[in-house]
Amino acid sequence: MRSRTVQGTVAIAATASLALAACGGAGGPQSGGSSKLTDDKVVIGLLNDQSGVYKDLSGPNSKVAIQMAIDDYKAKYGDKAVAKDIEIVTADHQNKADIANSKAQEMYDRQKADIILDVPNSAAALAVATQAKNKKKLYINIGAGTTALTGASCNKYTFHWAYNTAVLARGTAGTITKEGGTSWNIVYPDYAFGQDMNKSFSAEVTKNGGSVGQSIASPFPSDNFATFITKAGEGSPKVVGSMHAGGDLINFVKQFNQSSLKGKVQLAVGLMFITDIHSLGVDQFAGTQFTDAWYWNFDAQNKKWADRFKEKTNTRPSFAHAANYSAAMNYLEAVQEAGTDDADTIVGKLEGKKINDVFLRNGEIRKADHAVIHDVYLAKVKSSAPEEWDYEDIEKTIPAAEAYGEANPACSMS
Amino acid sequence: MSDDNAGTTGTTAGTTTGTTTGTATAPAGTTAGPRMLEVAGLSAWYGEARVLTDVSIDVAPGEVVTLVGRNGAGKTTLLRSVMGLHRQTEGTITLDGSDLAKRSADARARAGIGWVPDDRGIYSSLTVAENLLLPPVVHPDAWSLEKVYEFFPVLHERRDFPGTKLSGGEQQMLAMARVLRMGSRLLLLDEPSEGLAPVIVQRIGEIVREIKGQGVGVLLVEQNVKFASTVADRHYLLAQGKVVEHLGNEEFRAREGELLTYLGM
Amino acid sequence: MSEFIQYTLQGLAAGGFYALSALGLAVIFGVLGVVNFSHGACYMLGAVISAVLLGELHVGFWVALVVVPILMFGFGVLMERLLVRWLLALDPLYNFLLTFGLTLILVEAVKQRYGVSGLPYEVPAGLTGQVSIGSVNLSTYAIFACLFSVVVCVAVGLLLTKTRIGMIVRASTEAPERTRALGINVGRWVTPVFGFGIALAGLAGVLAAPTRAITAEMGSNFIIILFAVVVIGGLGSILGAVVAGFLVGLVEAYGIAYAPTYAQIVIFVLMALVVLVRPSGLFGREEVA
Repeated sequence: MRSRTVQGTVAIAATASLALAACGGAGGPQSGGSSKLTDDKVVIGLLNDQSGVYKDLSGPNSKVAIQMAIDDYKAKYGDKAVAKDIEIVTADHQNKADIANSKAQEMYDRQKADIILDVPNSAAALAVATQAKNKKKLYINIGAGTTALTGASCNKYTFHWAYNTAVLARGTAGTITKEGGTSWNIVYPDYAFGQDMNKSFSAEVTKNGGSVGQSIASPFPSDNFATFITKAGEGSPKVVGSMHAGGDLINFVKQFNQSSLKGKVQLAVGLMFITDIHSLGVDQFAGTQFTDAWYWNFDAQNKKWADRFKEKTNTRPSFAHAANYSAAMNYLEAVQEAGTDDADTIVGKLEGKKINDVFLRNGEIRKADHAVIHDVYLAKVKSSAPEEWDYEDIEKTIPAAEAYGEANPACSMS
Repeated sequence: MSDDNAGTTGTTAGTTTGTTTGTATAPAGTTAGPRMLEVAGLSAWYGEARVLTDVSIDVAPGEVVTLVGRNGAGKTTLLRSVMGLHRQTEGTITLDGSDLAKRSADARARAGIGWVPDDRGIYSSLTVAENLLLPPVVHPDAWSLEKVYEFFPVLHERRDFPGTKLSGGEQQMLAMARVLRMGSRLLLLDEPSEGLAPVIVQRIGEIVREIKGQGVGVLLVEQNVKFASTVADRHYLLAQGKVVEHLGNEEFRAREGELLTYLGM
Repeated sequence: MSEFIQYTLQGLAAGGFYALSALGLAVIFGVLGVVNFSHGACYMLGAVISAVLLGELHVGFWVALVVVPILMFGFGVLMERLLVRWLLALDPLYNFLLTFGLTLILVEAVKQRYGVSGLPYEVPAGLTGQVSIGSVNLSTYAIFACLFSVVVCVAVGLLLTKTRIGMIVRASTEAPERTRALGINVGRWVTPVFGFGIALAGLAGVLAAPTRAITAEMGSNFIIILFAVVVIGGLGSILGAVVAGFLVGLVEAYGIAYAPTYAQIVIFVLMALVVLVRPSGLFGREEVA
């Protein structure tokens, strides 16, 4: 009896607040008063993988990074801050495009998100780009690698902040091929990301005078790579490229290290995150070259930020954490500059902006395709870690223009 | 079951020893004396369907009692209820005076009830010897393995074969030998003659009489009226879950024709 | 030709994992009639516990090979006593759902505690490197894991065929009701058998630790292949599970070698063919009335 009453009360309250919200939504812009913010506040939506393979890479700790940006923004502008009330809403897309799609819709419509950040997983990323376009709301992708975000699927409201598969190919395949690793066999997981990576890497190897003997598709997910590795060793290539991610990558590297190719053939990894090195152990990856968008122990500026991050999370940041910080900070700066959170105005403020911050070095938000270009790094895994998480030697900085090349001609903003 | 008749005639020839074909007549006054098994007022259901109604029967040591009736009369359900495999029942079942109600099937087996199911119940994943050795020995009078092999030479011959590689008749022998080696004091035989050649049926009759001679009680479900009349002391006629008649063997034999008609055979 | 031998050996090596894990699944299904969906999660737990033993307590591979199956046996006993037992009398679907739910809980718990990127584990000293004969070579560890699996399968086989316990388990697997009617307390064997099956899954997990990614999700894909293995071998058939385990390992390796994209599909095509031709599996008993 009692619980029924409570339930009824909650139901009435919910209905009432829904009605109020609807009224507020309709009357908002006119009765906004002194503030030019919709709903008198800025809402940042963090949509990513909170439970699956990308959880450690970005996941819940990206909320900490975004909160750091909010704190820094408030500290910087104090009373003059345009956005005084800033809220973060989060959702788990479980790496599924359909869930990402409905969660994005919910964030933009019901939770009044002014911007959505992160969204790893290429299929999910593209689904949210469509929502951003339709709702005319901002979207900065960080976690996904697909070049389609700044290519065929680009749109006015979508920005791609951290990296893409073409950047990884130019950084890793380009450099290794130029340094003499001219014959490759590639093993890639048979889904959109893997196929994309295989294409990018093959193109880059060929462009730099190398050749790709075989491109072998592996089922996704897969835990037995022994025979794939044997096949990849056929024809005695100089380099074997693994385009896998997450658990598949760890399986591949473990089994590669146990195979006869270890020590004879160079292993190049398409996409690797510091969390992968952490989970497999630095010695398993020792000497592996890969492209990193950002490394926490690269310089004093990065280290200082990483120390702050560690205080809050007890772990070191991945590039995705730093990129979420950077994207949130630059968004808030744009709101400050524009004096509003109106999406079209913000897009105008962001386009063409040149940025140097803790994540972006020589960064520029390219107007033509909304790729946020910046310097990336060719990293080599250390043979032993001086301290936990200190796994990478940065061998080379790849300048932004070289890493990102020309704007994608497939993109037409409309 | 389809292959039961296939190899029967040839393979069991060696087991037939020269024994009499005479009939065992029911001794007068078998209804007196100590009861081994007493079933009183037993009713049984499958869900809502009542398959036994107020059945009361008894078996004395060294006595062979048959349950005769058409298919679906409830004979097998009665055996399964006694074994403790069918539990949706009312009424009492006692063995040597102690109530079995709370005893599980395996406890009843260890108390001396030996089950020979109508499909023989031979394990395909066990050899013939393992089929014999599987049940625990529960009584000092249990047959030794040597005695079993002496009595059933074919089982010795084929002791390392998978149990189900035996012919139907041999499987029936094995099923009976199994409970004898266990030392069961009350055998529940469910249609032992079914699907077997006459010579084998005759051999089974000899075994039943041998067991009887050792003071073992036998509750026999049988549709073969002729076979029943050659081995049994008393007969219960079951129809639609009720005991409709209780006959001594003399009377049973006298009314054989009538009963055959009744059973639709 | 040497390539073919190479693929064959790799197939057998992978098959060892399948055989060992499927063995536990078959034993549990045989005696309890439970389709244990959590078998993959128990395999995962075996690997995770090994990694935790190494990472936090510096307990190495060889000790884990003994300790982890014992721990998993205990876990299996608890699982049977506290959960599985109460649903045995009901439709088997209930225990399937129960173990499915348990899988979600176990996977989520490991994710919460140890994250999603996985845990490090190294090949034990003495089993690193490769063994080469001519142009055929195989990792030492893969050879060890395969031989170890074979030894365990043979030992379990002997236990089942040569001991009284084995005889009782086989009889209970084939016909539990009849076995009770022959004086055997089948219920008393249910708990240890369940624990034993789970211990085998845990053992496969320990063996996987040095060569597979140790993540909360490592059992999720594995269990699907295991189901294919037991269906091919014949549900509840112990020999069938082992033979089908190696068969699936081989088919997978040849699939990878000659039609990489279809490597896993091939397994399920094989399963479909077996089910079409022999619905009870290669070694399953035909349904007898």
